[in-house]
Amino acid sequence: MSEARARLHIWMTPKTLILGIIGLGLLGILTFAVGREATTRPMPASARPSARPPRPPLSPAEEAYMRELWPIHGDVERSVMRMTLGQILYKTQDLSRAELQTRIEQAQITYRGAETRIRALEPPASLRRDHEQYLAAVRLFQESASEAIKLFKDGRDEHLLAAYPKSQEGSDKIREVGGKFWPNEFPPN
Amino acid sequence: MNRRWLHVWMMLGLLAVIGGLARADVLQAAQNKRPPQVLPSGFESTDSLLRDVERAERSPRYSAWIVESSRFMNVPHRAFQPDVGDPPFVDLPVNVGILKGPDGNLTLYDTGWKQLAYIFDWNTSCCWKGIRDQLHAIGLDPDKVTQIVLGHGHWDHAGQLSEFPEAIVYIQKEELKQIDFFLNYPVDFNSGHIRAVNTVDPLTGAQVGPPQQACARTPVCGYPPQTVQEILGKVLHGKAIIIDGRHEVAPGLVIHPAFRGHTYGSQLLQVNTPRGQLVFGSDTYSSWTGIRDWLVANIQQTDTIQQFLAYEKCYVLASRLNSFNNCVSAHEPTSYTAAYPLTSNWWNIPGGNCSRAAELILANGEPTHVPGNPDRTAPEACVSTVPPHSISP
Repeated sequence: MSEARARLHIWMTPKTLILGIIGLGLLGILTFAVGREATTRPMPASARPSARPPRPPLSPAEEAYMRELWPIHGDVERSVMRMTLGQILYKTQDLSRAELQTRIEQAQITYRGAETRIRALEPPASLRRDHEQYLAAVRLFQESASEAIKLFKDGRDEHLLAAYPKSQEGSDKIREVGGKFWPNEFPPN
Repeated sequence: MNRRWLHVWMMLGLLAVIGGLARADVLQAAQNKRPPQVLPSGFESTDSLLRDVERAERSPRYSAWIVESSRFMNVPHRAFQPDVGDPPFVDLPVNVGILKGPDGNLTLYDTGWKQLAYIFDWNTSCCWKGIRDQLHAIGLDPDKVTQIVLGHGHWDHAGQLSEFPEAIVYIQKEELKQIDFFLNYPVDFNSGHIRAVNTVDPLTGAQVGPPQQACARTPVCGYPPQTVQEILGKVLHGKAIIIDGRHEVAPGLVIHPAFRGHTYGSQLLQVNTPRGQLVFGSDTYSSWTGIRDWLVANIQQTDTIQQFLAYEKCYVLASRLNSFNNCVSAHEPTSYTAAYPLTSNWWNIPGGNCSRAAELILANGEPTHVPGNPDRTAPEACVSTVPPHSISP
């Protein structure tokens, strides 16, 4: 047996054979993957770009204002919703008058607190109009709650009807500002 | 004598015990027929649905159309139907059902929406037109709308209610109770992912935890205060009927609950027509091909088993004629094409900003509303404009 053949016999064990096959397999997969990456066309995402117009960049002052208004907006929205649904569930007799009273009084506290917090903000000139609009909305919610609370004094449900247009107008206003500031707040469903 | 009375009392006692056991058995059996975790008012057996078919077939017939309130553009297909990715992007109509009975009055199933800033400025939608204009343009009188059935209360389906101040709105109590329940849901262990409003990062849109209070795809997102206010307006003016489960709106028009088929208080509408029972499903029936092929759709807020059970309701109600072909979908991408046969008789609404209408079926001698020379310009060739707008419900 020559020296070269003896050396080959040393390497040709079953273990080295298996390792070799695995190595070749991995090399094949790698070659396939590299080839595929190099030849695959881009995803159709780029073939059909979104039609959404890019949002103009915000100035630091605008961004800071929106961030500060955001938690206030959340508190206001939840109070409006609780008051709105409270009235519906009261009319369907799923909520007692006392429970509705609690809800409206709590909402009134939130609205007053929100007004104070919003007044403490300093909007940049570019957002002054939105700031005023949001304040006007919060005042409408307060007026609406004040009107609705009369129900608990004289027992007349008509106060809810009288309170309604103001809360509706307020909801339109915060939706307008909210939609502009936080367009992703409500996704399509 | 005493012994005789004793016997009588013993017999009566025995009968009472047997009766009690039998009643418990009956109740237990009825309970067992309902899937677990299903509200009694949300459950309908196949037999009761078939009885509704029989009753409806003896009832007046309705003509039916759909119109497209707006169209979501370039929606990633898998975001809509996880099991379907081809083509990778789809356009989704927001369909509204219109029904005309023998008395000439109209019933709407869903009302679309009017959030124009959202539709045109912040989303990738197109082709919006106000519902009253659309009705006029297809030859129907919007003042004849007397009833509105809301398939669910999401903002893209329950808007524009104030356009019909005299119409009675039908909505499930369960739909309203679920929003109320989740409004102040504690966030200690869910990082703000379970909330009714306000749950995305205000600037990046990413879904994050408190105090950012996010609302992207939580179980009850999709109800801006504005939309719920409109429902309150209907309630306060005595123009809403809050229902709990099955409800017959009129002979031939039956609401069937589909609780959690999309939202907690989703509801279907069975309509008797010359082509059998049509079943409108709003987002519970987001995709017609999904119903046909038993694939889930628009599931982010959906219990998929309940969605399948709601699909089955259509199969039962439409079992005598046309089967799944009579299921009417809210967002089926192939709407207004031959691929969705029920909607194949379509046209672009004149002056409708590229929104489309389809005539599903005619009854009671109603003449066709399809124009003599209908505009069937393909969507990609139709140029839609952005109307002047501020935000409205």
